[in-house]
Amino acid sequence: MSAQRQASSASQTPHISPAELSYLWSSLALPNNPIRPDGRSPTQFRPLSAETDILPGTNGSARVGFADGTQAIVGVKAEVEKTVAAADVSSLSQRAQEQFGENQDGEGKSSATTTGHGSWVQMSIEIPGYRDDDALPVFLSEMMREPLVESVSSGGNADGEMAGGLKGRLVINRRWHWRLYIDVLLLSQPLSYPLPLLSLTTHLALLSTKLPKLKSLGEEDPFFDDDWDAAEYLYPRSQSRLASALQLRPPVTLLVISVGENVIFDPSRDEIAVADTLLAISVARDGGSDALKVLSIRTVDPPSRLTQPGMPNAENPASLESAAVAEQAVNGEEIPGVWRPRRGGVKRNTVAKMVKLVLQKGGVGEEVLEGLEGVEVG
Amino acid sequence: METVKTKDSAPGAATRPQRQRQSNELRKIFLKTGLIPSASGSSYLEFEPSPALAAARSTPKSLIPPSSALKLACTVHGPKPLPRSATFSPNLVLTTHVKYAPFAARKRKGHIRDASERDLGVHLETALRGVIVAERWPKSGLDITITIIEAEDDRWWGDAPDSHDAPWGMMNVLAGCITAASAAIADARIDCLDLVAGGVAAIVSDGDDAAPRLVLDCDPAEHWSILSACVVAYMPSRDEITELWLKGDGSKAVLSADDKRLGNEALLDGAVDAARGAHTVLAEAVRESAERYAGLALGGPAR
Amino acid sequence: MASAAAPAAQSAPPSLSLPPSQFARLQPHAYLLAHLSPPATSNQPSIRANGRAPSQFRITSANTGSLTHTNGSAVVRVGDTTAVCGVRAELLPTEDIASWSVSRSAAATTNKRRKLTDPTQKLTEEIGDESDLDADADDQSHIEDLNLLVPNLSLSTGCAPGFIPGAPPSSLAQSLSHQILALLHTTRLVRAEDLRVWYQPPNLGAEDLERHNESEQMDVDAEEAGEKDKEIKAFWVLYIDVMIVSLAGNPFDAAWASVLAALRDTKLPRAWWDIDNEMVVCSDAVSESHKLTLRGMPVASSFCVFEADAAAGWRAVIIPDAEEERQIEESNRKGVQRRWILADPDGYEEGLTQERACIVVDKKQGGKGKLVIVKMEKNGGWALDSEELRKLVDISAKRWEDVRQVIGQC
Repeated sequence: MSAQRQASSASQTPHISPAELSYLWSSLALPNNPIRPDGRSPTQFRPLSAETDILPGTNGSARVGFADGTQAIVGVKAEVEKTVAAADVSSLSQRAQEQFGENQDGEGKSSATTTGHGSWVQMSIEIPGYRDDDALPVFLSEMMREPLVESVSSGGNADGEMAGGLKGRLVINRRWHWRLYIDVLLLSQPLSYPLPLLSLTTHLALLSTKLPKLKSLGEEDPFFDDDWDAAEYLYPRSQSRLASALQLRPPVTLLVISVGENVIFDPSRDEIAVADTLLAISVARDGGSDALKVLSIRTVDPPSRLTQPGMPNAENPASLESAAVAEQAVNGEEIPGVWRPRRGGVKRNTVAKMVKLVLQKGGVGEEVLEGLEGVEVG
Repeated sequence: METVKTKDSAPGAATRPQRQRQSNELRKIFLKTGLIPSASGSSYLEFEPSPALAAARSTPKSLIPPSSALKLACTVHGPKPLPRSATFSPNLVLTTHVKYAPFAARKRKGHIRDASERDLGVHLETALRGVIVAERWPKSGLDITITIIEAEDDRWWGDAPDSHDAPWGMMNVLAGCITAASAAIADARIDCLDLVAGGVAAIVSDGDDAAPRLVLDCDPAEHWSILSACVVAYMPSRDEITELWLKGDGSKAVLSADDKRLGNEALLDGAVDAARGAHTVLAEAVRESAERYAGLALGGPAR
Repeated sequence: MASAAAPAAQSAPPSLSLPPSQFARLQPHAYLLAHLSPPATSNQPSIRANGRAPSQFRITSANTGSLTHTNGSAVVRVGDTTAVCGVRAELLPTEDIASWSVSRSAAATTNKRRKLTDPTQKLTEEIGDESDLDADADDQSHIEDLNLLVPNLSLSTGCAPGFIPGAPPSSLAQSLSHQILALLHTTRLVRAEDLRVWYQPPNLGAEDLERHNESEQMDVDAEEAGEKDKEIKAFWVLYIDVMIVSLAGNPFDAAWASVLAALRDTKLPRAWWDIDNEMVVCSDAVSESHKLTLRGMPVASSFCVFEADAAAGWRAVIIPDAEEERQIEESNRKGVQRRWILADPDGYEEGLTQERACIVVDKKQGGKGKLVIVKMEKNGGWALDSEELRKLVDISAKRWEDVRQVIGQC
């Protein structure tokens, strides 16, 4: 019951004493120089191992394992499906236009040919210990699907193949499209908030996804080349390694926390437990320029709000102090060294700072995307 | 199979409703507390119908409504003891539940909560948990239930679902949920840090060649496409955000020349401004609730 | 409210200085009893804890057509109980009905084709007209067999603390949904003809035929010939969803009133079979749409029976013996009432009573005709006898007038 109730929070309240929480918080909040329990720098990620194309029965797959033993597997399957709803309306309206000889609209008419539908990408997440309709898996899958199907800026894309982003790529012709099933499996109990792991794995799986080469032309019923070697990547790649930076890639979602004035990336479970703010930021490379752009930001409920408060000596019945001091403590003043569950929200400039650290040239976002590019695909 | 045609059989014959508000002008909000006496706190929220919708109501021509206006009811039950099976909690355990009525949207909603409704519930929970002073009620639970009687459109109905098919209406719904839940929590006399209000801003484009611009409190039906939108739950007195949900690519927004902000920063500031507007309505509704309560306390409880 | 609380304070022993609200919570039965049986000396009429007379209903208000995405909608408030009802119409093409071709051919062979009346003519008919009741007798089976009316009532809206949102619908919600469905079927409120989408192949000169159908006195053979090819291409299915937004007792009356008001508000678009696209298409023009023509206006009134004996509920299984009945009658004669029938109970009263009655009545010809009892239901006890039920019917008839006014105004 309680596990389900609090499932939406980043993870269950960790079993750390208030004193430990307080210690952790103050070491992470040290101005300009946070000390993390595992000695990483604020922007450093945990080491991970990754491989792709591990499941022969899928169109694309990947496995990523963190050093702490948590692993995730993602499989991508594609199916050909008939496009129904939109075509009916547009064909009706076009027929009517011929009939009435009026041609006043311009919108919505051509759209069915080039752009797809967000619901063609289906994502399901399985996390041990959670039902698939629990809040955490639902929230995670929405959080990861959202930037994926988000409209990618229409102009400025070098090769026309990816016009309209992933959704556009799924269109075969007016009557047919691909449906993409992305199944995400977390193989172990989540030791920390599993979002970064799942996002990285999904990214790699999508990069390795291949669709059979289309042999039919235009509006005919599609048939495909049965030679798997001729299959094309879902996210097309050019031959030259140099141009790769300009190519469209699936977005990645990063988990960022702020503690005091500091911003810390890829937090571990204990670090999340003391975070003031927890943001999930999805970024992707802009098609036109080389810069990164934000596709979505969501706040995640930090579990620090649910922790048990520490008790100052003043309140402790063991050390007899005057009741007046205790009263003051109850009224919410921070006492150094005594843990209080976080309250309230985040300041705007903190958000701006976190986003900037992700986006800036040579920042964390680029670093992660480059690292993923380095993984040998295929 | 079922297809709706307009009079002249072409969707182009009907015109898209136009935004008649300034880009920083909000819709009026009707917010009232205490309409549901069996709950410890309750509120009802309604957005002002757009001019197009109001016109369609007074002189109906087409059966297809041009846009829709949010209507929702929120109830708060508790604080109440947790069930025996629950583990000890030093804090108030918050449960949020958002459900669309089957007739709330253009497409009939099922009776079982779908992913978007659960997603909304999580967003709302995040927004509220930062506001409630939870340690005042150890071992207690608080249930917040929102029934959406009429939702916002995701796009104009005449548009084919295309690249702009993201559920933008959900963001307006979330902002309304936050404001209404905040009023209902205050009506239930739960201690809060501040009245948290929801606000939406969006970067919209009104045509292929029109420059994307920032508008507050956008009605998705009124715009050709929405590039990016942002909801916040904002506490004015602390200048803090408890919930932020931004999606879409706002990097192409054209702001005024001296504006050096990034698209997402401008969007965030816009949403905060919208939330400030909602906060004035919220404060008024909560004052009414307090006066009613004071009246009851003086005149003896009625029930 | 303060005046209502006064008798309670009088009847409570002076030493016990509980405020009325706490007394009401601690001793609900005694509290209500004290209200209903004021001391004989005070000469006050018996009045309920909520300030109403026993046969008084709560103030009812209704508002229709405020929901954008519905074909018809209504909000009905009965005191603090609020029901929101939205009616959505969706097309059910006959080719999607598995048994359709079978049942249609069977109908044709039985040669029991009913007279067709043009839908446009229906509009001009008075509500409550019974002229075509017989003709509609067999077509009503379409509504029931194909489930063209789908009511559903939801209590999971946080309307009262007991209903956990997200849980499967409570048995109360299911029972209420079913009662609404059953009442829709037995009252035959919606005409099947309103829900049909016909198709007439054009070979016969469509205009002639239209005029043809208008005359009802046409002899059967000619009609048969003219309508041989006319076929039903689709049905409208009405999804009638009731959300109880606030529950303070007596959800059925409010829910049914909202269904009634919403159906009266319902407009169906003109729909026709488009031979080129082989699909049913609709017009969005309001001028071409038609309102449902309902049969009558049944109004529900609910009652509960409050027993002075607080333990009455505990021995509900025992049939009262003659001795007991005699005692009650005797005390009645002495002017000491032991039983009260409370109209339109609120949540507090519902918790204190076992026996319920629900009476649905209608008046024909818009209120001028005779009173018809559409449904009568009672359960949970033995107190109500035929004498009292007759009285309740009279009260329900008065209630019918009130509700008709409220619904008629919107």
